[in-house]
Amino acid sequence: MSIRLSTIWSWLALAVVLIWTLLPLYWFLKNSLLTPDEIARFPPPLYPLEPTPAAFFNIFGLDYEMADGIVRRGSGQANQIIRGLGNSLIVSAVVTVVTLFVVLPLAYVFARLDFPHKNKLLFAILLAVALPPVSTLIPFYAMYVRLGLSGTLVGLIIVTLTITIPFVTWMLIGYFRNLPQVERLARIDGFSRFETFLKIIVPQGRSGVAVAAVIAFLFSWNEYTYALMLVNGTTANTLPTAISGFLFQHPEPSHLAAAVALTMVPPALVAFFLQRHIAEMNLVDPVR
Amino acid sequence: MSRIQIDRLHKTFHRHVAVRDLDLTIENGELLVLLGPSGCGKTTTLNCIAGLETPTSGRVLFDDEDVTAASPHQRNIAMVFQSSLLYPHMTARQNIRTSLAKQKLDRAETDRRISEASSILGIEALLDKLPSQLSGGERQRVATAKAIVRQPTAFLLDEPLAALDAALRLTLRAELVNLQKRLGTTMIVVTHDQVEAMTMGDRIAVMNDGRLEQIGTPDEIYNRPATLFVAGFVGSPPMNLIEGEIVTQDGRTRFVSRDLTFEPKLAAGDAGPATLGIRPQHLHIHAEGRNGAVPVTVFAVEHLGRESVVILEDGGRNKLHALVEPGFAGRVGDRLHAAPDPTHCLLFDRAGSVLSHAAAE
Ligand SMILES: Nc1ncnc2c1ncn2[C@@H]1O[C@H](COP(=O)(O)OP(=O)(O)OP(=O)(O)O)[C@@H](O)[C@H]1O
Ligand SMILES: [Mg+2]
Repeated sequence: MSIRLSTIWSWLALAVVLIWTLLPLYWFLKNSLLTPDEIARFPPPLYPLEPTPAAFFNIFGLDYEMADGIVRRGSGQANQIIRGLGNSLIVSAVVTVVTLFVVLPLAYVFARLDFPHKNKLLFAILLAVALPPVSTLIPFYAMYVRLGLSGTLVGLIIVTLTITIPFVTWMLIGYFRNLPQVERLARIDGFSRFETFLKIIVPQGRSGVAVAAVIAFLFSWNEYTYALMLVNGTTANTLPTAISGFLFQHPEPSHLAAAVALTMVPPALVAFFLQRHIAEMNLVDPVR
Repeated sequence: MSRIQIDRLHKTFHRHVAVRDLDLTIENGELLVLLGPSGCGKTTTLNCIAGLETPTSGRVLFDDEDVTAASPHQRNIAMVFQSSLLYPHMTARQNIRTSLAKQKLDRAETDRRISEASSILGIEALLDKLPSQLSGGERQRVATAKAIVRQPTAFLLDEPLAALDAALRLTLRAELVNLQKRLGTTMIVVTHDQVEAMTMGDRIAVMNDGRLEQIGTPDEIYNRPATLFVAGFVGSPPMNLIEGEIVTQDGRTRFVSRDLTFEPKLAAGDAGPATLGIRPQHLHIHAEGRNGAVPVTVFAVEHLGRESVVILEDGGRNKLHALVEPGFAGRVGDRLHAAPDPTHCLLFDRAGSVLSHAAAE
């Protein structure tokens, strides 16, 4: 009896969480498939009566002819969206690769080797994680204007790295620490320290590497605050800020919804292909 | 194959001394067991021989060649670690193959060696499994195969059987000794289990607190312990130790304890506090009191099948162990007398060094 009850409770909890997270997504997806007058209707339809992909064509600047002969025109924001998509992909890819390059050795060294002032340096990383990004926004902006980095992809990549690197390092230290202590085995087998890291530790910790990549990718993909401040309105604009442009345009809610749906595609793909690793990796507090 | 010499090896960790001025020679083809309690420096010594730790001072020589600065791989040693450590993300075969990764062998030779090693250890069927899919004993065999495949100059094993259950340990320790004798390769095994040490070692080096207490054959270690520590550490049930004093009177030397007087063959001048050691099989139980017997009370009787162990309590509430026939009829609380066989008594001075080897003379 008690088992039944607890099962019911966990199903109930699961249902609440799912509704909480999925309902807004559903609403957006639904809106992206509605015609403008369906969106304007009250009460709003709960599902698209005649789903149309028109908005997805429109946001890329393409006209779409409906079944009844009405042509829905391409969005004036299309250039912004296409460029934003390209920029976002570039920034996210570069940030992910650079983060992995820096973080894997860094986290490994913190997890497995002893060196002077290790704990102080560890807390410096924690401090970098703890700082809210907004607090560094103004200093970065001032600096970037002088360096000529505002409005550039390089500038945005650098700023994003200042967040992903400490965060992912912090996350991976505990993970690396829990891997079996195979370094001695590798020394007996004749591997150098670097070879051990590259050929033994990284393959052994591939779940951690995968999760690090996901976190770095998702963070830079979703990053909005810095992008708004540093690149909005320039050629280095990213997708999230480009979408926010819709808010100030002639209202076309289905375009906004379609663009938002577009931003969800890469994270969904990433999560889908790496879910096994994400589930495998149990995160551990690095300070013990 | 090689002869390993350790020359005044000293190792400290942040001023904590792990190994003190250790001198040790392991003969070519010998199986030496490093025995000692937890924390006495066995692993540290083994790691220095392997080249995983750098000695603070002292030298390690392989066949009279100084290898103190050489890497483990240059020394061409093979090592099996505590709890049979393997690379967890590699199959048994890949684990064994990694041993040869830096050997510059051609593929055919590598495969030949791997199949030879796995047939010696009977693990052919396990080669494509991951370590997590193997039992403790199977992991141990794979780790051993990984060690022998390289045809090393020496095998170094750090508590190779510690993580296994008792029955498996019995099987595997015989297998290890058999393997070592067949290959004729020098082997050093670290253990804190004295039964394992006695059964495996050609010689045993007993360590305590970073120092070498004694090195010798199992027979020497058991029958002629050089120090009180060795006497107490080796043997099960443990040697009985009776505190007392050596007094010289009228030109005769006597060992006198609370309940016992005993006249050993000793040089004068050994007078002072001393400890008498007697193995349980040399402590004889009598119903009546007699000269040279300690009055005791039976505390517990443990039947082991082939023999029984009686735990006795003397007047000072010290526990004494005696081995008796399985038909022993005594009950808890019985008052008896325990007489050490004088020819098997050992005496140790205050510093713990042995004074007489009555048994040997
Ligand atoms: N890396 C290290 N840093 C500091 N102290 C160490 C280190 N390695 C060993 N020690 C210390 O040196 C002493 C000897 O350690 P060692 O590991 O050699 O003991 P052991 O005889 O192998 O013990 P066990 O049977 O528990 O494995 C211990 O007191 C230990 O605390
Ligand atoms: Mg040890």
